[in-house]
Amino acid sequence: MSDTAQLASDAGSRDPAVGLRAVRALRMLVERLEALQVENAREQGWSWQEIAYCLEVSRQAVHKKYAGGRGLLRREK
Amino acid sequence: MFERFTRDARQAVKLAQENARRLNHHFVGNEHIVLGLLDQPESVSARVLIRHGLDHERAYRAVFDMIPPHAGDRLDADALEAIGIDLSAIRERVEAAFGPGSLDRPPQRTRQGRLVSGRHVAFTGPAKKALELSLREAISLKHNHISDGHILLGVLRAGPGPAHRILAQADVDLETLREEVVAEMA
Repeated sequence: MSDTAQLASDAGSRDPAVGLRAVRALRMLVERLEALQVENAREQGWSWQEIAYCLEVSRQAVHKKYAGGRGLLRREK
Repeated sequence: MFERFTRDARQAVKLAQENARRLNHHFVGNEHIVLGLLDQPESVSARVLIRHGLDHERAYRAVFDMIPPHAGDRLDADALEAIGIDLSAIRERVEAAFGPGSLDRPPQRTRQGRLVSGRHVAFTGPAKKALELSLREAISLKHNHISDGHILLGVLRAGPGPAHRILAQADVDLETLREEVVAEMA
């Protein structure tokens, strides 16, 4: 870790403003990474079930999030 | 339709998307298509436009001024560094796998309700129409391919919008431009 990061980390570990901001940034990053990976998996022919298994979420959750709101009316794979 | 596109035409469409990404826009409109055309200065469409005084730099600035970038999309690199995460290292690896800019935009919902990654920059209705019109322009000129020139004709035909405004700002007469592009392709 660089000196500045160490400083920020030391100073920020108990500062909610710093900590929460980091969590928010991390969440945004995760959302983007997840969308890229889910899309890539679908392009490579993975089923929603397989993707859900890797993400440790339910098939319905991942399908609803990525395939759109009308999950039950759609053909699922 | 796209199988009839020439190499320059395909490249122009790709560059339109790249320009939209660079501007941090969430869509590709006809204004980005014009930028894509101008990004290949040796192409027929760019040569004609440059002759009228509109080059890529000028057009890019005009689009930039007209449509502000999405500012809220920036990932908070400082906040991540504070907990020991090097965003630039992550970006480098993600872009190596998924292409430049793939981490720059949040996932987007398509009209069909699908959530797609930030890799995609969707074409607007008018931009899709312009590309369809480029096919019609090629057919009416009895050309069996669609080149960058036909795309420019499609943009002109697509009707008023930011692209036309940028041309108007540069004092480009649309009818003259049209005639010159047709003449260059003959």
